Amino acid sequence: MNIWTKSLDYESLATTDTPDRPVELPDIEIRAIAKSFNGMTALDEVSFTVERGEFLAIMGPSGCGKTTLLRILAGLETADSGTLLSRGKRIDQIPVHRRNMRLVWQNYALFPHLNVRNNIEFGLKLQKLERRVIDAKVAAIAEMVRLTEFLDHRVTVLSGGQRQRVAIARALVTEPDILLLDEPLSALDANLRVHMQSELKRLQQTLGIAFVYITHNQSEAFSTADRVVVMNRGRIEQIGAPREIYLWPRTRFAAEFVGSNNLLEGRIASVDGNVVSVDCGAGRFFVALPDERLAHGYRPAPKATVTLVIQASKVRGHATGVANENQVTAVVTDTEFTGSQIVQHLRLEDGTALRMIAPDPFSGSTPGPGSTIDVYWSPEDCVLVGPRILPSSQNIPGTKSYVRMGG
Amino acid sequence: MADIVSEASTVPLTNSKKPRGRTNRLMIAMLALPTFYSLVFFIGPLIFLIALSLWKVENFRVVPAFTLENYISVGQQMFGNSNYSIAILQSLYVAATTAALCVALCGAFVLALVYTLPSRLHRLALLLAVAPFWTSYILRVFAWQILLAKRGIINTALSAMGIDWQLAVLNTQTATRIGLLHYSAPVIIVILFVTVKSIDRDLIEAARNLGATRWTTFRTVILPLSRVGIVLSFCFASIIAFGDVLSGSILGGGAGRSLVGSVPLFANVIMSDYSGSTNLPRVCVLAIIMVLILVFILMAGMKGSEAAQRSIS
Repeated sequence: MNIWTKSLDYESLATTDTPDRPVELPDIEIRAIAKSFNGMTALDEVSFTVERGEFLAIMGPSGCGKTTLLRILAGLETADSGTLLSRGKRIDQIPVHRRNMRLVWQNYALFPHLNVRNNIEFGLKLQKLERRVIDAKVAAIAEMVRLTEFLDHRVTVLSGGQRQRVAIARALVTEPDILLLDEPLSALDANLRVHMQSELKRLQQTLGIAFVYITHNQSEAFSTADRVVVMNRGRIEQIGAPREIYLWPRTRFAAEFVGSNNLLEGRIASVDGNVVSVDCGAGRFFVALPDERLAHGYRPAPKATVTLVIQASKVRGHATGVANENQVTAVVTDTEFTGSQIVQHLRLEDGTALRMIAPDPFSGSTPGPGSTIDVYWSPEDCVLVGPRILPSSQNIPGTKSYVRMGG
Repeated sequence: MADIVSEASTVPLTNSKKPRGRTNRLMIAMLALPTFYSLVFFIGPLIFLIALSLWKVENFRVVPAFTLENYISVGQQMFGNSNYSIAILQSLYVAATTAALCVALCGAFVLALVYTLPSRLHRLALLLAVAPFWTSYILRVFAWQILLAKRGIINTALSAMGIDWQLAVLNTQTATRIGLLHYSAPVIIVILFVTVKSIDRDLIEAARNLGATRWTTFRTVILPLSRVGIVLSFCFASIIAFGDVLSGSILGGGAGRSLVGSVPLFANVIMSDYSGSTNLPRVCVLAIIMVLILVFILMAGMKGSEAAQRSIS
């Protein structure tokens, strides 16, 4: 019996050139949502969309507003201003118990006075379905998350991973349009976390519903999500595919928060085609801008203050001879062995710290602390980040733009 | 050299279970005061009560003896002349109904407090709610008498407003219940406050998120998780109500009317026997019966709250 029904809303946009296939409205549209608590701003006019059936991760340090955003989506908090839409319809006025978005709590919030089965069917009983329909749905979801043998246990005797699956089953069995997850894996140990990451991804792809997933763990976000939203202090720093954020951070915070990046402050000296030369304290470096940056109309102005970002894994100990290759002399201050790699901590002439990931940890030939070495990197591998940079096209016109054109 | 070695082998390598030396003395010192209090004000009088109940009366004077004639006499009177059993029934009925009313009203009050006020005001609100009860109980009972009297404040106000209906609760057990409710309210409010506060807010939000209205959330989440507090409140309120004599005599008129009839409360029976009769040992037997009933209620409450705790964890 196929109990999982999916209905898709098809609505076409009225434009001059009609697309030849119907366009699906996004599952969530957030427009300029703002929220403060006791004078402290939790969300500062945040806007973005969650596309139909997308796995979106929201990433950021503690206090950046991601949990507040999730609670506003679920209806547990009301935004001070802004609008919330789902599939084209406004949902801000709908009370929490009538929204079709289920939340999975960080500590699971399982009802301790009910057993696993009663926990899972809690939402179904409220929908006043027949007993045998409820039983069938519960059996199907238990099968899907592999909880069938635990259905009659009390929830307090379950392990962390089992409780988490009960929380997910309880939310999904009511067939919501969107699933919201608040750091669901943070209470699990590392092995289980990795296992559950792929379980969640598999589940999301099987069901085809949108997942909005909050985490502060970068590898979790990057391995599961279709797109990642990086948030900081109530604002969105960057939205994009994981690879895009990793390779081309658009703001200084994104560059610092994601990956292991080195940041060098400097001023733009000159622009020659797509090669920008930047004067930093330790020397002059060359950055090759990718074409899409130029397509968005980004024209770095001379003498503008910028930050040059180069990944630690892209810094080499030897030259490769590419055009405009960057080279600088540095002193090794520390060598860190993390198991799978060796991280060399270096110090440049002007005191800036640099990190380099040595490619061959067991070769025994890595220079020790105190030695002076030359490091190199290609101009295509670095990224320019300004204090104010125009973000990508997610900025919906009409809302307050918190970033302005660089320069 | 040899004696050092042998001494070393007798010293245990692990900590023994009994605390040694200074810790042991400290524990004894700390337990001394509560033990003393318990012995002097609780165990001692209880033993004295039991001893007294075995004495007898000769020539209008109490004489130490060891006789069970008082117990036999009370047993015979249980369903006879003095009808102690009906008084016990009346007391149990009033206590149970008072406890139920108290838990319901104080429960509603605590729910309103916890779920409408912001968290930082909770303690202050609790303090303000309980503070009025620190005044003298007997003065409050007298105040109720003035309020509820036939020409008391309420009735005067009603007739001044032109309403025909007059309040006639004095000398019924309804008035007794009002006084007892007032008496047990602070304890019950505090117990229920702690119970309701301890319910994880996330669980309520989870129920709402799954589609429950506020009433359904109350019925399926808040109420079940408050079981322990409700059982304990019911137990304590019953104990307070069963043992009280002031409300019954001042507001209930000694033998207030109720569904059971115009029957005095058991506590009032003991009081009147004590002041009226000349047989002190006999009154002691009645008092022991009351203590036994109260202990029974307490034990039932403890067992009930344990079962309730098991059902929610």
